[in-house]
Amino acid sequence: MIEQHNYTTTPTYNLPPSPDDLQLPQPFIELSQYTMQNIQSTTMHPNTAETTQQTTAYIENTAPITTIQHPATITTTQLQPDQNLKPVVAVDVSSIRIGETQAGALCAIRGAIVWKEKNRYRYQRLGPFPFHITEENKTEIHKLFQNNHFEIGENHRTPNINNIQARIGNLLERWLQLGISCSAHDTIILWDGSMTAGMPDSPTDEMSRLLETARNRLSTVLAFSKNTTLRFDGQKLTDLANKAKPPCLIKVNNYPVCSGPVLLLGNVYVAKLSSGVCQFRLDIDKKVSHEQAVEAVQSLLGNDLIVQSYPETLRLAHIYSTFTATEVIGIQRFISKQYGLRMVTRPNVRRMLFGMFGKGAEATQ
Amino acid sequence: MRLYKKEGNTVQILSYPTDNIEKGDYLLVEDANVNRKLITQVIDVQFASVPGLLEELLRDSTMEQQVYGETIDPLGVTSHINHIQDARMLLCKIRGTMLNQKPHVNSSWLPTRSKSGITKIPINILLSHAADSKELPINIGKTKDGTTLNITAHDLDGRLNIITGKKGTGKSHLSKLLVLGLVDYKATVVVLDLNGEYTGLGTSSKGGTNQYSDRVHVLTPGSNFKVSLSQMGLSVILKILVHALDLPGTSTREFKHIWKTLCQQRKISMHELGEAIKQSTCNMHVRDALFSRYYSLVNSGFFTDSEDSATSFEKLFEKTKQTGGALVINLKDISAVDRQIVLEYTLGNLVKILGQWKIKSVFLFAEEAHLYLRETYWEDIVTRMRHFGLFTNFVTNQPDTIQENIYRQADSIFLFNFTNERDLETVSKAARVDSETVKSIAQELPPHHCLLIGKAVNDFPAMVKVRALDIKTMGETRLFFENQNN
Repeated sequence: MIEQHNYTTTPTYNLPPSPDDLQLPQPFIELSQYTMQNIQSTTMHPNTAETTQQTTAYIENTAPITTIQHPATITTTQLQPDQNLKPVVAVDVSSIRIGETQAGALCAIRGAIVWKEKNRYRYQRLGPFPFHITEENKTEIHKLFQNNHFEIGENHRTPNINNIQARIGNLLERWLQLGISCSAHDTIILWDGSMTAGMPDSPTDEMSRLLETARNRLSTVLAFSKNTTLRFDGQKLTDLANKAKPPCLIKVNNYPVCSGPVLLLGNVYVAKLSSGVCQFRLDIDKKVSHEQAVEAVQSLLGNDLIVQSYPETLRLAHIYSTFTATEVIGIQRFISKQYGLRMVTRPNVRRMLFGMFGKGAEATQ
Repeated sequence: MRLYKKEGNTVQILSYPTDNIEKGDYLLVEDANVNRKLITQVIDVQFASVPGLLEELLRDSTMEQQVYGETIDPLGVTSHINHIQDARMLLCKIRGTMLNQKPHVNSSWLPTRSKSGITKIPINILLSHAADSKELPINIGKTKDGTTLNITAHDLDGRLNIITGKKGTGKSHLSKLLVLGLVDYKATVVVLDLNGEYTGLGTSSKGGTNQYSDRVHVLTPGSNFKVSLSQMGLSVILKILVHALDLPGTSTREFKHIWKTLCQQRKISMHELGEAIKQSTCNMHVRDALFSRYYSLVNSGFFTDSEDSATSFEKLFEKTKQTGGALVINLKDISAVDRQIVLEYTLGNLVKILGQWKIKSVFLFAEEAHLYLRETYWEDIVTRMRHFGLFTNFVTNQPDTIQENIYRQADSIFLFNFTNERDLETVSKAARVDSETVKSIAQELPPHHCLLIGKAVNDFPAMVKVRALDIKTMGETRLFFENQNN
């Protein structure tokens, strides 16, 4: 008997039936406009330092589960690409610091969804959304997180201004991931990052719901982490695949699933999907059997271009979400024109003090 | 627009496409604190070097075959990003400064970078500020912004001008426009018309008469342009014999002797000259040399013994003195030697008439002059004849045929399109403009558009679309395949 999958669109977000007509979360746009319209400052100090972008994956990798000790074991599975047609969808979100005002920080968030259609890739870029984060409005932002279940524990403090940028990015990413989970059917869904839950940006209930929704629609979520702090038997987890013959999947068995509030919702694998020097930590939904997980990765191999063990769809999602220097200047111009902020470049203290003895950019500029 | 950088007499200005700035435009960089403006001209429009642009373009273009999609941007930030991508860097040459609404050719002052305002100024407004006199305007055509550009007849008076550009760009048309512009102000113009292009100046485009019909005199050598020896002084006939017909020194001495004898006998005619040579007791070789030159003169058909059929420049100039007029010397279908004879006569006679103050001055338009003017004439025309009141305008599509010293002395250059670097290099030797301006702007001039350089535009180079004329076009190339589909 075929199990009747229980799926409904999430009423909170009113998600569309396919990535094609994915709608933007209205509260997110409103929040962006709200924070920007209430700028009290008249000047803006553009970020002159090298553009430091945060992809949302960064936060997950700060999870406290970092060491996998014995008696954990590893199992290597050789993979065969499965050529049966299956859609592949990837989601990524980037945030960047645009500048500062007297009251707070200006940042921009942008999301990208990329999916493979026959032999072509299609993308949808959402944003950029500028935000002005101040001590005054950070509670408003926090409220948005709470209203959308992205907050854990009553006693959890409002994050500081610097962390809110990444948190807003994560909020958008979860929204998009949920949208994809609800709309896609029998699809490989690629996330950037891990399946760590229990962090402020990844409440366990919400993360579980995301995975469950995808499962109910016969989709499998594969979360690729470019960087991992996980270590196995003293060595970096991804180094386990150094000598493995691609394409293969190395499963780490019996590792601790939780540490305090932090919980791993996925099984941890090391994926070496093609020849080259790269291999990645791959989290696959724990509630999906190992066989199904392997099938999903084999489907990915057969349906997407894999370069340096990384799926092209996810690479494109990353490329389309990140900000180039031109875009940063364009966003600064938008803010300046739209909200009447005068750009004033702050003197670079490090360059003034250290000159050629400074580090990195200020030494060469 | 913002002032970005200055190197030498070049400034770089950051601009956006919405500023709608093109090559040739004039920009005023105004420093409100000192009430002074820097006059600059855009000589090149480049894309600004924006950081990260390459990434952007690579992302957007290299994948466009395989990747497509859309951007949902409810706040409209993308338009600002595109704006940055399209930012332009305007390379501008400093042409001077504007102080109390009066332009000065002085580029030593530099305005503030942080607070300068930059505005576009139409060339005709700039020229109206710059011009000392607005009398005797000659409408050249329209500038890029659709306003009329006038030079004045004073700008051609006493000046050496060059009209140059590649074939088919409209040099002769502009030359005709200037001729008629001068005629309008009762000037006397002599046109050395190599291809019979100017013979239609007195005929309207529809074939009837026009306002210049009675002021344009087409002189076709051998037909309605014949001269008698008695009109000619010894100096003129000697120039013809020596320069056009290469008469050697010994033979020249003998000819002088014969000429003097004829003068004493008051028998100066072609017939008498032939007889005198025949009866001359000089060396046989000298006599042969004189005979061969004599027959060249006879065969040219340019000489006549009938005083009635001989053309008198003096009389023609008397006419043009009252109403102005153009004498078009039609050199079409004339052999190279005959052309030289006609030219030596014309120029020699002109200098003679001017020297005698029978007329005040003459504007000479010489098309492809290298084909009929000997090299020594160049310097003579440019340096010496100017003082007699002969003001030359050279028209050529081969700029390297005009000597460098002429470019250096040219007061104004009317430059049409050139693609060839070498041609532009030659023209850029003109002292009145920098070579970068010439090379950058002239290469992209469309047909019938001209870059005016020099005194005619008060040293503010200006691009103009030359206006049409109601005259019969005579310089069109005859085509074999024309109307073959009809």
